[in-house]
Amino acid sequence: MSDTSQAAPEASLGARLHASARQLVRDHRPAEALPMLDRLARLPGLDAAAALLRAEALAALEQLPAAEAAADLALAADPAWSAALQLRARIRLARGQARGAIDDAAAAVMATPWDAGAKALLGTALLEDRCFDTAIWFLGEAMRADPANPGTQSRLGQAFMRAGRHEAAAEILAHCVAASGGAPALVALQAQNALLAGDAAGAEAMLRAALAAGATDAALHSVLAHALLTHGQMADAAPHFTAAARLAPRDGYLAHLAAAANGIGTDRATDSYVTALFDGYAPRFEHSLLALGYRVPGLFRRAIERALPEVAAGRARLGPVLDLGCGTGLVGVALADYLGGPLTGVDLSRGMLEQAAAKHLYAELLQLEIGAALDRAWPPQAVVTLADVLIYLGQLEPVIGGCRRALAADGLLVFSAESFTPADPAGQGWRLLPSGRYAHAPAYLRHCLAAAGFAILEWREEDLRLEADGPIGGVVVVARPVGH
Amino acid sequence: MTAEAYRAGLEALGAGQPARAVPLLTEALGDPERGGYAALNLGMALQALGRLAAAVPPLQQAMAALPDHAEPPFRLGTIAGLRNDAAAAAALFRSSLARDPAHVPALAALAALAEEAGDTGEARALLARAQDCDPAEPELALALARLDLGQGEAAAAAGGAGAVLARRPAHAAAARLLAEALQAELGSEAALERVAAGAAADPFAAGWPLAAAWLLEAAGQPEAALAELRLAAQLAPGQADVLAALGHALAGLDRHVEAEAILRQAIAARPGDLDLRNRLATVLWKGNRLSAMLEVLEAAVADFGPHATLLLNQALALNAIGEQEAGLAAAEAAIPGGGIAALVNRIAVLPYHPVAGTALRLREAAEAIGAALRPVPPLVRGRRPQGGALRLGLLSGGLGQHPVGWLTLAGLEALPEAGFTLVAYSLKPRTDPLARRFQARCAQWHEVGALDDAAIAARIAADGIDILLELGGYGEGGRPFVLQHRPAPLQVKWVGAQFASLGLAACDGMLTDRWETPPGAEAFYTEQLLRLPDGYVCYLPPPYAPPVGPLPALAGAGVTFGCFNNLAKLTAPVLAAWAAILAALPEACLILRTHALGEAATRDRTARRLAAAGLPPDRVALEGGLPHRRLIEAYGGIDIALDPFPYTGGLTVCEALWMGVPVVAMAGDSFCARHALSHLSNLGLGDWVAGDHAGYVAQAIARARDIPALAALRQGLRARMAQSPLTDAPRFGRNLAGLLRQAWIAVPEA
Repeated sequence: MSDTSQAAPEASLGARLHASARQLVRDHRPAEALPMLDRLARLPGLDAAAALLRAEALAALEQLPAAEAAADLALAADPAWSAALQLRARIRLARGQARGAIDDAAAAVMATPWDAGAKALLGTALLEDRCFDTAIWFLGEAMRADPANPGTQSRLGQAFMRAGRHEAAAEILAHCVAASGGAPALVALQAQNALLAGDAAGAEAMLRAALAAGATDAALHSVLAHALLTHGQMADAAPHFTAAARLAPRDGYLAHLAAAANGIGTDRATDSYVTALFDGYAPRFEHSLLALGYRVPGLFRRAIERALPEVAAGRARLGPVLDLGCGTGLVGVALADYLGGPLTGVDLSRGMLEQAAAKHLYAELLQLEIGAALDRAWPPQAVVTLADVLIYLGQLEPVIGGCRRALAADGLLVFSAESFTPADPAGQGWRLLPSGRYAHAPAYLRHCLAAAGFAILEWREEDLRLEADGPIGGVVVVARPVGH
Repeated sequence: MTAEAYRAGLEALGAGQPARAVPLLTEALGDPERGGYAALNLGMALQALGRLAAAVPPLQQAMAALPDHAEPPFRLGTIAGLRNDAAAAAALFRSSLARDPAHVPALAALAALAEEAGDTGEARALLARAQDCDPAEPELALALARLDLGQGEAAAAAGGAGAVLARRPAHAAAARLLAEALQAELGSEAALERVAAGAAADPFAAGWPLAAAWLLEAAGQPEAALAELRLAAQLAPGQADVLAALGHALAGLDRHVEAEAILRQAIAARPGDLDLRNRLATVLWKGNRLSAMLEVLEAAVADFGPHATLLLNQALALNAIGEQEAGLAAAEAAIPGGGIAALVNRIAVLPYHPVAGTALRLREAAEAIGAALRPVPPLVRGRRPQGGALRLGLLSGGLGQHPVGWLTLAGLEALPEAGFTLVAYSLKPRTDPLARRFQARCAQWHEVGALDDAAIAARIAADGIDILLELGGYGEGGRPFVLQHRPAPLQVKWVGAQFASLGLAACDGMLTDRWETPPGAEAFYTEQLLRLPDGYVCYLPPPYAPPVGPLPALAGAGVTFGCFNNLAKLTAPVLAAWAAILAALPEACLILRTHALGEAATRDRTARRLAAAGLPPDRVALEGGLPHRRLIEAYGGIDIALDPFPYTGGLTVCEALWMGVPVVAMAGDSFCARHALSHLSNLGLGDWVAGDHAGYVAQAIARARDIPALAALRQGLRARMAQSPLTDAPRFGRNLAGLLRQAWIAVPEA
């Protein structure tokens, strides 16, 4: 087995390795094919075939960067290879790269226009990129070509749902559920559609029926918990959040909600929680906030007017403004006529940022976590706003400190916070509420501000919004760096 | 004529067709000139076919007829070695060398025996002598490398094994030795890197993936090892050692169909390998192919003698096919020298035995296991002070669609979350809907099946478990010896081969009820009996069970009895009772349904047993197993279930009752002899349970003759069961919580 005595491959080895490896990948045993694929790639003329199978195997093993690299190799041999393009599109989708997936899927549709699978894939990628109408068009094309394909049908149902066309979604998802014999994931989707359409009771009934029939799935429990929450039934929702989190242990969104529902504190909501929360609801978010009597942007405007009378009088304009957790851009709307410098919005949710962009008020919108945003070197900002952002954070010292660094020496920090009075004044300064939001003790807020070098200009107790069980109380605070 | 047969026989042997050679060489045995050689070649042909027992007489004949020939005693010595008779083997190898001092295989074989006996000096001397005779023989170099490794010279061993591989790139034994030596020299990770570098330099040599497979298997990565072996099998197609390794790996990962095919190929290529025969037997066991399993084992016992491992498997197979007496005899025969495995094997078959399977005998057999275990230092001593939720550990391979799941899940789900934090130590990964429900109830989930007992126990102790529920017992896949390490302050036996006492001092309690263990039963248990107020289990009916149908007997064709229990429970007294019942009811018929009856040979064997017991063949249907949903549906065709004894139905009784089918049963004194009594009593049907054979027969006949009463009972049975404690999960959860907390408080504080 030294270099001088290499075993030479026999002539039929390549065909045997390829057939055997392909069969293993088809049989859902991708890991067992990898050593064979390694050898196959070393045989003359078989490297592209080996690369495609390897990409498929690695994708199934969720080794996505390596899978994409293998797909790149396969495509280097033939850039118009539809199977390889589709595979790379699926890999990119799994990596959250919807735009790249659209490019590949579109190239596959052009290479093999008769392939319904390629169209369905393009529709799916467009759906992930929130291009709902185009997604629906391609998924519809795919369904016309291959009407019985259950994957295409459910994708189309999902696309209708996300586009807000709940009746169309309900019809197609009901068909999918019946055809699958009540597959839990599809029942969950059907119920989610009902929930988004405002039929929480209907969603609850579907989910309870599926659970009673013995189905168990994270999505079933999660959607049921959300349905119960819409009626304020937190105690009933809690065990379902817990079950969902246990069944999907890598899902940060569910972990956060389960912890919150069970009164277990974490020091901040996970990014995946915030992203999932707002991406799912972006188009309806503004409407629902306004319907809930969301007052914070207006309160910020009034607070800034009191702090900066020259601006309020129209004799001066605001310098650069950094709107952290900008959401759909309601703070931008509230401050629009006072702006003199660039307005920058930061949010985790792409869906939210798209809504903000549509308002054409922001000079720049960044999809970033707030901590990461504050790590950047900012030109001195005149105002930094945090509207309803601290409710996703327990510990505040890093964020308040970061705001201080971003502000000009005479800048203003304006934020809202839900507050609570701790039983033990020496205890923890924040607590995770069953709703999944954080509340902060006034003493803790004051401590964080002082520690970061802020002096409080204004501290007002306010009703931040109205909810089903009454107004949510909190504070709106304006602070300025000490020494100004 | 005989000369012609001899020549043709040799040609067949030379062409690698020993089966064709056997009749020809047998015919040539009478040849006055060539008879001795015919006998030798016949012995070799039979040996090549793995028919070792048949090979012995002609080899002995050849040894006498050819006094100067070294091969007959060498061949006989090899067979003696395979039969574990080292002394006889050594004598025969020496006899071979007396005839031919330069017989290299005999020198190597003697060296191997010396090595096994720990005489490495003698082994080296013999190998040196052999190398003088044949310096180019790689097997001798490999044997020397093995000696090096045994004496701690890992680098020298790696060098020796590597040199053999350089000449024979697919040599499996050399690859394995290289892997062992590299691991000893460099550690697992660096050894794998070295092997990977070798593979990169010489990608089409089978030795590298073989070595990688050994290292990966040793590192607890069996799937990765299998992947390497699959590659090795492609690079060295048909090679016996590679097939053997691949067959073992497939069997280890429960890939039964593929494993059987590969193992049969490997056995054909390497008939003298006892492990391959046993492995094939276990693969057939898992596929419910009991007759095929017995056939393999009987041939292996004939060829290799009564090895303990063969007897253990034979005991299980005989018992499982319903031949309990023969099963227990094989199990008893394996006990001398069989160690703890043989004691566990005995208790696995004993409860089925119609005479010996008593509570007292079971306790004695269990205590024999406890006494044979070496003491282990406890990981925890006493319980923590009170306060907070109790941490409840579940140790089982059945946390899913399995009797453990159907009989425990509803009760465990009903334990209050605030009072009990559940942590699963799963011995077998499962993904079915019931497994998902377990996962939804458990705060933590650990797959620990690949760990050894000590490691599992360490994990449990580190998790701070207060109460450990053992849910596997001495059944297949159970790991009761984890308890020996005392990972939790309170350790309790519950469902999962819960047929008797575990006999382990480390098992503190057993969950039971007043029917399973009436007052006085304490004498049969080493555990404290923790009696729940109702039944000892809470049955979760399958959500897919169809509604109860009308009584089949209303159609007027006579009563249909049914028994969906496994064949192991069908003892001779059971068959005699059924024969009496059918004799008294000429229009009645009986349907037996279980997985083992899916095999034609087992069906025939069972039919013969039934006929011998006097059951009319035209009124007994033998049916194979069905997927669970369809099995449940099949109760629609049954009027009355006939429960077996002494090992009664557990889950089977619950399923029959849920489908509206009442159960005639008989109670004995062991735990497993009283499952049916417990379940029926919880429905208020305790009067369906007889105390003796005659009562059982009379009960079945009387019930079958009252069709209106049967119809009325069937109509209301599901509702009755749904309202009974047997399925009342909230009530069971409250009772279980109270009992566990009470038992825990009674444990002294640390």
